[in-house]
Amino acid sequence: MDYSQVSATDQMNRSEESQMIIMEEFLDEDAAQVERLRRTLAARRHRRQTALPEAAGPPEPRTQERGRDKMAAPPPDAAPPAPRDLPPAPSTSRASFAECSVRERMREKLKAARSKAEINALQEDSSPHPRRSKSIRERKTEVKMDKTVQNDFPSAEEAYNFFTFSFDPEPESIKAGARKRNGLSEEEEAEEECVEANEDEEEEDKTDEDVRLVKDDDLFMIGQTAEDLVVMKPADYESYSEQLKKEKEFLFIPSKLTVSASEKMPGNMQPRYLEDEGIYTGERPSVSQSNQNILENRILRQEQGKKWFGDDGKILALPNPIKQSSTRPPIFSLEEAIAPELETVYAKAIKMTAANQYLVGPGDFQGPFQLDIDISGLIFTHHPCFSREHVLAAKLAQLYDQYLARKQKNLTELLTGKLDALRNAVQCSIDGGGAGVPVAQQRIPEYKLEIRQTRRLRDAEEEKDRMLLKTIIKVWKQIKSLRDFQKFTNTPMKLYLRKEETDQRLDEKRYEAEIQAEINELLEECTEEYEKKRAEYETELQKWKSWKKIQKSKKKKKKDINEEESVENYDLDEEPVKPIPPKKANILEIEQQVREKAASCRRKPGEPAVIPELVLSGSITPTELCPQAEVLRREDVKKRSAFIKVLFNSKEVSRTVTRPISSDFRVHFGQIFNLQIFNWPESLKLQIYDTVGKSSTTLLAEVFIPVPETTVLTGSAPMEEIEFSSNQRVMLDHEGVGSGVSFSFEADGSNKMTLMTSGKVSNSVSWAVGEKGIPLIPPVSQQNTGIPSSLKNIDAIASIGTSGLTDMKKLAKWAAEAKLDPNDPNNAALMKLIMVATSGEAQVPDYFRLEPLQQEFNFVSDEEFNRSKRFRLLQLRNGEVAEFRNYKQVPLHEREISEKIFQDYEKRLQERDVIDSKNVIDAHRAVVANYLQKVRESVINRFLIAKHHFILSDLVNEEEIPSLGILGLGLLKLTETKRPLKPKRKERKKVTAQNLSDGDIKLLVNIVRAYHIPVRKSVMSKLQQPSKSSRSFNEMFAAVPSAQSPADSPDWAFNQVLVRPFVEVSFQRTVCQTTTAEGPNPNWNEELELPFRAPNGDYSTHSLQSVKDEVFINVFDEVLHDAVEGDHERGSGIHAHVERHWLGCVKIPFTTIYFQGRIDGTFKMDIPPVLLGYSKEKNMGLERGYDSVRNLREGSYITLFITIEPQLIPGESVREKMNEMLKFDTQEDEKLLQAAEKYEAECTSKFPNRQCLTTVIDLSGKTVFITRYIKPLNPPQELLDATPNSSQTVAELVARYVALIPFLPDSVSFAGICDLWSTSDQFLYLLSGDEEEHAVLLCNYFLGMGKKAWLIIGSAIPEGPTAYVLTLEQGQYVVWNPSTGCFYGQYDTFCPLQNVYCLISCDNIWFNMQDYDSPVRINFDTSKPKLWKSFFSRSLPYPGLYSVQPEELVYQHSDKAAAVELQGRIEKLLKDKIMEWRPRHLTRWNRYCTSTLRNFLPLLEQNQGKDVEDDHEAELQKQLGDYRVSGFPIHRPFTEVRPLIEAVHSTGVHTIDISNVEFALAVYVHAYPQNVFSVWIYVASLVRNK
Amino acid sequence: MAEVHIIGQIVGGSGFPQRRLFCKWGLHAGGAWKLLSGLGSGQTQVDDPQVDDVAYWCHPLDVHFATKGLQGWPKLHLQVWHQDGLGRSEVLGYGFCHIPATPGCHSLACVTWRPRGTLWERLSQSLVGGGPQLRAPETSTTGAADRFRLRTEAAGTVHLQLGVLLRHFGRYGIEC
Repeated sequence: MDYSQVSATDQMNRSEESQMIIMEEFLDEDAAQVERLRRTLAARRHRRQTALPEAAGPPEPRTQERGRDKMAAPPPDAAPPAPRDLPPAPSTSRASFAECSVRERMREKLKAARSKAEINALQEDSSPHPRRSKSIRERKTEVKMDKTVQNDFPSAEEAYNFFTFSFDPEPESIKAGARKRNGLSEEEEAEEECVEANEDEEEEDKTDEDVRLVKDDDLFMIGQTAEDLVVMKPADYESYSEQLKKEKEFLFIPSKLTVSASEKMPGNMQPRYLEDEGIYTGERPSVSQSNQNILENRILRQEQGKKWFGDDGKILALPNPIKQSSTRPPIFSLEEAIAPELETVYAKAIKMTAANQYLVGPGDFQGPFQLDIDISGLIFTHHPCFSREHVLAAKLAQLYDQYLARKQKNLTELLTGKLDALRNAVQCSIDGGGAGVPVAQQRIPEYKLEIRQTRRLRDAEEEKDRMLLKTIIKVWKQIKSLRDFQKFTNTPMKLYLRKEETDQRLDEKRYEAEIQAEINELLEECTEEYEKKRAEYETELQKWKSWKKIQKSKKKKKKDINEEESVENYDLDEEPVKPIPPKKANILEIEQQVREKAASCRRKPGEPAVIPELVLSGSITPTELCPQAEVLRREDVKKRSAFIKVLFNSKEVSRTVTRPISSDFRVHFGQIFNLQIFNWPESLKLQIYDTVGKSSTTLLAEVFIPVPETTVLTGSAPMEEIEFSSNQRVMLDHEGVGSGVSFSFEADGSNKMTLMTSGKVSNSVSWAVGEKGIPLIPPVSQQNTGIPSSLKNIDAIASIGTSGLTDMKKLAKWAAEAKLDPNDPNNAALMKLIMVATSGEAQVPDYFRLEPLQQEFNFVSDEEFNRSKRFRLLQLRNGEVAEFRNYKQVPLHEREISEKIFQDYEKRLQERDVIDSKNVIDAHRAVVANYLQKVRESVINRFLIAKHHFILSDLVNEEEIPSLGILGLGLLKLTETKRPLKPKRKERKKVTAQNLSDGDIKLLVNIVRAYHIPVRKSVMSKLQQPSKSSRSFNEMFAAVPSAQSPADSPDWAFNQVLVRPFVEVSFQRTVCQTTTAEGPNPNWNEELELPFRAPNGDYSTHSLQSVKDEVFINVFDEVLHDAVEGDHERGSGIHAHVERHWLGCVKIPFTTIYFQGRIDGTFKMDIPPVLLGYSKEKNMGLERGYDSVRNLREGSYITLFITIEPQLIPGESVREKMNEMLKFDTQEDEKLLQAAEKYEAECTSKFPNRQCLTTVIDLSGKTVFITRYIKPLNPPQELLDATPNSSQTVAELVARYVALIPFLPDSVSFAGICDLWSTSDQFLYLLSGDEEEHAVLLCNYFLGMGKKAWLIIGSAIPEGPTAYVLTLEQGQYVVWNPSTGCFYGQYDTFCPLQNVYCLISCDNIWFNMQDYDSPVRINFDTSKPKLWKSFFSRSLPYPGLYSVQPEELVYQHSDKAAAVELQGRIEKLLKDKIMEWRPRHLTRWNRYCTSTLRNFLPLLEQNQGKDVEDDHEAELQKQLGDYRVSGFPIHRPFTEVRPLIEAVHSTGVHTIDISNVEFALAVYVHAYPQNVFSVWIYVASLVRNK
Repeated sequence: MAEVHIIGQIVGGSGFPQRRLFCKWGLHAGGAWKLLSGLGSGQTQVDDPQVDDVAYWCHPLDVHFATKGLQGWPKLHLQVWHQDGLGRSEVLGYGFCHIPATPGCHSLACVTWRPRGTLWERLSQSLVGGGPQLRAPETSTTGAADRFRLRTEAAGTVHLQLGVLLRHFGRYGIEC
């Protein structure tokens, strides 16, 4: 037990010891440290021996040393027993105490370890351990290993075993390893032991004691209880003073006292002040002195503390980093100098307009500008209520004003002064200058001339002055006499004449001197003139004499020859007058003149100078004293009052109050009107109104006020007086003289005068100044008038243009001219630039760059950048340039884009301005084509913007919610009886064009049947008979002679040869044909399908609208010829030639089909007037009256049905959109436009599918009321003269003339935009237009010819919506198709006009209110308001709109020579083309036939292609007996050559490939006035009959 | 000769005090830049969100630029407007952001601000609508020296999704 107890403590001690050893080891790991430790230990020991108590002195920085010290040193006082001391006593002193306790513990451990070792040594003397030291070592290593391997300590037994066991085989190695590992510590241990050995000398007894004590304690402890172990202690408290004392031990408080410089400076250096030496030292940050001292004191205590001090003995410091000014100065007011681009404005919440919906463009702010109009008053210079006295007074006042004005100018004085000066100058130059100075000599005549002029001027002025004075006095006298006469005064006027007495003598002297001077001058002048004249006279005389001499000699000669002749000759020769010698001037005469003049216009000497003075101090006779008439007048005046209206852009904006006219006929208003405006004013007007009593208000006059200059601002604007006068005639029954009424001052009524109401308005107009002193003036750009504005001076770029900025000289010049203030900081940059540039000091770069350094950093040069084909292609595609709009994919690489792509485009760009006269034959047409192109472009540009604007309905498709009614109908339908046999119409689904591609759209053409196709003619000549194979059996049946046919001869039916017609439809180079039918009334009923390809694959509505392609429906006759000659071969086989002969065609533009959706009807075929080899059935009457009902017979007809599959929705034209968006400009009256809108709305609400047209757009894009287009105009005189007897033929001729003007639909030229109407003169100049222009011109012609004519707005087949002309002829309505020249009776079933919507005359519009709109079923009587709703009616009378048409059309005469030239060129071109089309064959031209054909053509023109067939045929037969001829004339109006070539090509004449074929071609051009050409082309092919 | 193609959309705006918003936008690039195709500016429709406060516009942007230099990389200017019940419009926020310079898809949030008026202006804005606007909205975002004078308050955020395609920048030594 005892042992175990001991062992427990032993173990405890041991573990403690091991800890200590670790500690020691840890401390001694570093050899050097150990060495040092040792040394210090030794030193300490020494010291301790000498002064041991000092160890507890002031704290040392190296606490470790001290710790070591303490540890090493035995405690001075007896240490408490170690185990009891185990829990360290709590201490109030913090760090030091903790330190102490640690040290103490260590010390104790060490002690314990030692005693233990001793005990062990004592106890185990007989142990196998050879040496004590070894066991320690062993233990140590073991512990160490233990420590390193596992953290927990071994149990007591384990430990004991461990240490007591003998490790036989291993110990060596372990020991070796341990030794090796702890080699150092072993050595140290040894050394320590040595040291300890030294120590032991003095400590030995103590240690022994300790050991013993420990033992005692251990024993003592066993008996103790828990109470013995716990001690109650009061809380430890250290007094404050004690704390302080303790703190003082280890705290350092630097003093605040100043440190002397010497302490801070190293060695014996003197402080050096850099600032004094002139070196810049920054300002040190301010630190309070005490702080500085503390810092210095503290630093100095440190090692090398002096390095913190500079040469000047101050702590080193950087300059003060704090900026003087704050980086974000406080804003005191927002107003002050905010950068303009950062200014904010309070914008009211506004509704957006469509115009500024994009972000681009500088700020939208266009604030209201202000114009101040100050109307101060009104002064009447004449008023109907003026009495006679007033009239005179007004006159006097006027004269007086004039006098004052003259006096202020004082021209007389000025001129007199000038005259004096000039005279002096002359005198001086004569006196002083002498002959020596040539310049002065030269000047004298100049001076004299000037003197003369000045004198004349002065005299005139003087005379005027005098006259004025005289008149003033005269008028005043008149007033006085009038006042005397009427015995009362009306005006307060009084004239004082102030006489200024003058010194008579002086005056006289001056007067005389003046006269003398004048006389002298005049004399001089006269002599001069005399000299001149004299010289002239001398020369004249000389001439005369010489002439005389010659005459005499001549006379002598001629006398010999012939007397009579000579006499005649002599008479013919003009005899020079013998000059008269000039007279010399007479002094007396001159003096007389001068004096007279002086007397008349100059104040006589001694006469006092009169100065008039007008005052208004006179008293007016009170009303009671006046006679009745005057009283009446005065009362009338009192009743009258006036006011002024202010009109801005002819709209009344404000008016003044009504003020009574005062008795002196002045009205004071004194009102200022502030007009807030947005745009630059167009006009400013004042209207002066006069009111009498309370009833009538009359407009007296209108005064236009000039719009003020931009410099005229409120506050500085002067008052201006603007005169006005009225032409009103007022007669009054009282004393007032009235206006416009003659009256007289004389008693006898002579000397009458008439005065008009007139007066002056004093006003001032100026621009207001805004809050910040900015004048509220609209931008100058709005100022479309060319006023040279002063604003222009201020902006350099505006005045010299941007290019000027690069030219320094220009800039400098401008700066000098504009008088820029060089001191103005705003101009500083500019002035500097100019200074540098002009002084030439600095190199000015010869370029100007907006972004400096841009160029330096560019990847590529501009040229290369612009050369990129890919970029260009992308841009062009983006810009929707026609050629590139539909490029779906742009190649990625430059090399993949060929150069050719741009060639067409560039060519087009170049050609825009260059007229290619080669392609277009006629020069005029070229010009027109060019002009048209430009108009087109400008219009397209204008509308392009509109096209890209979208309105809500374009983007949002809102389907209407079915209403209850529709639902009900739907329900009712369910109850309907089923009728399976009645097919129901299904609406085709409409397709929007956006997502279509090639091949999706097809054109369906259903050819139903044709009527009255020309049939082959049986030929008289046997040789010309068609071969047998072409005959068929049908001919017998088909050729049923019609009853009406005039050619009803018996053999007609039998001779008739059949035709085998077929139809070929060609569209966009795709050709389809039907099967061949037989007979003149074939029935095909075939559907042909043609693919439709949009240009460039663009299927947008816009693009589809501009498709120019036409559907050609050609009718051919298929002719079979036997190719085999001779009957002997006939049996074996059939060899036949198939020939096709063109019979006629119908053309339908694609746009018509597109807009109409479908085309269904019977159309007249365009058949040439003559078809060689074919005959047409004749129409019945040669006299074609209007009343003859037309029938089928007249032409061939074809029934067609054309549609597009799938159905496309035609895009609405831009007009509707435009109307909603930006409204066209117009000059029409607003009321009229409103009425038109209302009218249109009313009409379309009743008949939604009838078009109501009231306004149209003219070529300049302005809205014009439609009736302005209708006006009687003169047709060309040539046409009228052609057949003067028959009005009908003239009408036809005129229609033909109009039809000859080329047709060009607007929807093609102004693609997808709208109809533009050109006036008739524009139309005739451009020579192209669409239905409207043709119709308007024809209508105007008919009106000009005295017919009753209207314009029909309707729809026709195949044109769609169109315009026709209606005339009333002999009680019958006739419908004219203006683009073909055909006319139809009202009841004609084949009239292409299908619907009639409106009638338009020159003064009204009628809308069709009838149930039907087909011309057959309606009544054209416009006088019935139930049938026709008129625009102008009783409620809205016709205001008399002027016409946009010219007064008269001027025609160029037909140019026959040009026509002939054109004819030749066309013929040559066509022949070339035909040869070109037959590349494999030889083309022979039959000249004989050609010349024959050429003779026919003028005949055709003359007869307008009618009724010539027979003669024709016969003629040809006669001449070309043995040829089989097939051919026909083609008639076209002339526009260009290309369509003519197309026309010839489409007939397919050239396709004949019989080897011996010959051709004939003749062209005839007939010229009509104004370069309208009618072109006839006769093509024929001839085959020689064998 | 390098090309930048921006394809994306203005997705919407969030955090604005009002509903019924629309956005005006414009692209601004330096002088070396050239707009090859596409619109450089535009305006969205008005969106009146019923559920939350994010206005969706989904307004497409498709702009193709060519450039000969790096300076003036395109910037997108945005203005968010509010249309009130009377159909009047007032500005709610200005903002701008650079087009990302790296190729690929980018989701951007462009924060906006608006000028803050005086007390009186704010009062009238709350009563009758309208509000302070920049006189020159373009220049204010480019180079104004003392922008601190502008007193602004934060507005909402505009969300953008931009896909940027770059071409040929590498050819001129620009890595991206």
